Amino acid sequence: MKQSPEMDNLEAVLRSSKLVAGGFLGSDRRSVCEIIEEDRRRLDNAGVGCKELAGRMREITDAAKRQLGGCVKVSDRLEAWVEEAKGVLVCPWPHSGGILKRITTVRNVETGETVTWSDLNIHLIEEHGFFEGKGSAMRLEPGEIVKMIC
Amino acid sequence: MPVLVVSSIATFLTVLLVVAERYLVNYGECSIDINDGDKELKVQGGDSLLSSLTGEKIFIPSACGGRGTCGYCKVTVLEGGGPLLPTETPFLTRKEIAEDMRLSCQVKIRQDMRIAIPQELLAVKEYACRCSEIVDLTHDIKLFRFELVEPDAIDFVAGQYVQLFTPVYFRGGEEVYRAYSIASDVSEKGMLELIIRLVPCGICTTYCFEHLKAGDEVLLNGPYGEFCLSETDAPMIFVAGASGMAPIRSILCDMRNTQNRRKATYYFGANKVNELFMLDEMRQFEEKLADFKFVPVAASPGKDEQWDGEVGLVTEVVERGLKNASECEAYLCGSPGMIEACRKLLVKMGMGEDKIYFDSFE
Repeated sequence: MKQSPEMDNLEAVLRSSKLVAGGFLGSDRRSVCEIIEEDRRRLDNAGVGCKELAGRMREITDAAKRQLGGCVKVSDRLEAWVEEAKGVLVCPWPHSGGILKRITTVRNVETGETVTWSDLNIHLIEEHGFFEGKGSAMRLEPGEIVKMIC
Repeated sequence: MPVLVVSSIATFLTVLLVVAERYLVNYGECSIDINDGDKELKVQGGDSLLSSLTGEKIFIPSACGGRGTCGYCKVTVLEGGGPLLPTETPFLTRKEIAEDMRLSCQVKIRQDMRIAIPQELLAVKEYACRCSEIVDLTHDIKLFRFELVEPDAIDFVAGQYVQLFTPVYFRGGEEVYRAYSIASDVSEKGMLELIIRLVPCGICTTYCFEHLKAGDEVLLNGPYGEFCLSETDAPMIFVAGASGMAPIRSILCDMRNTQNRRKATYYFGANKVNELFMLDEMRQFEEKLADFKFVPVAASPGKDEQWDGEVGLVTEVVERGLKNASECEAYLCGSPGMIEACRKLLVKMGMGEDKIYFDSFE
């Protein structure tokens, strides 16, 4: 799939470690457009849209952050907690605003399975449909996260 | 196909301009007047304001190494900065733009300039250090001790922070600086201690936790910040979580050294008991300070953890324990969420906003 020069520049930023250690694309050799397109198809198959999924993620993060690092029950089978660090992260797409360094972990109390996301993940999914590349430390698998929290 | 040709030409011309500016354009020597004559520098034009100031050992806080991604390196450019660039506007408020604030990493020196920076930044120095010890405090928090080599002593005020330089430690990495509060005693001028919590995917904390070893050389610069004790006699509460312990520990050491007799209560919160640390050292301050109480708080102790201390969110324990909020000052250090929750609570309890001090590093 052909990308615009702007997307080429963006991909260079995403592959570098300018903003986060290890970059956003991990070991994934696909182009950004291919990654976004394939993840969008997977999300469609799961019957959920990016904004809807990001909204659910934010709802869980908001509930957990009120516990200041403690655990909160977000449904019969899910509990969640957040960890925060000082400073802000910058979205690799060219627009204004910093995003707090906040990590949310959700655990299924029945299976012990966990999923972790950052506030930047929520923004990237909501605004750019981007779940990060395979092998990236904060990559989210669309089907898995929908199954877990929706 | 035409789009490809136009894009290629545009890219070629851009590269040509950058190369020409870098190697062919000579701006000559330019002067930078700082704070209306407090200091005047003579620098070679063509570099960014940030790198030129750094070259002259004037350190402006910057987390991204001058790549225009953190927005921290703001200075007031009164003359000679040229027009505001699109790369700066996302990081500046309307008020800051009206006040001639600029990102010093984006401003090129092409002519004489007049700038204003906070006076205390002129006292900031770079310190070559050796990491002498790394101590595990919890599963994701460590104490790092650095012996100062050159210069071999530092003056700072308890509560201030330094910036730790992170070298490139993996392919495609970038040099960055990150801010950490000083945890050590002001009177021990030949060393600095930092308490650092691992941030998942954090460039600097990953370096500290996985690459930095005792004996390694590191660079720090500082001190920075205005988070320090007021000069009143008002009773105080300290509220901290996790690595927020650092500046409070330094302040308590200073209170001990100066025989400060102010009444103080320190609420130190964590989720589990095994995430609380330095408990014995903090309890010793109860004996060494005139009127000090230490209150460690565990939000939800594990079933296998023995704990007879306070249980609940640190804000809940503060609400239960603090009886005279309107007469007190508060010093907060921890996650942005904890700081915001405490700030709201204390205001609700009658404390003036101007009596609540915190260093959010945002």
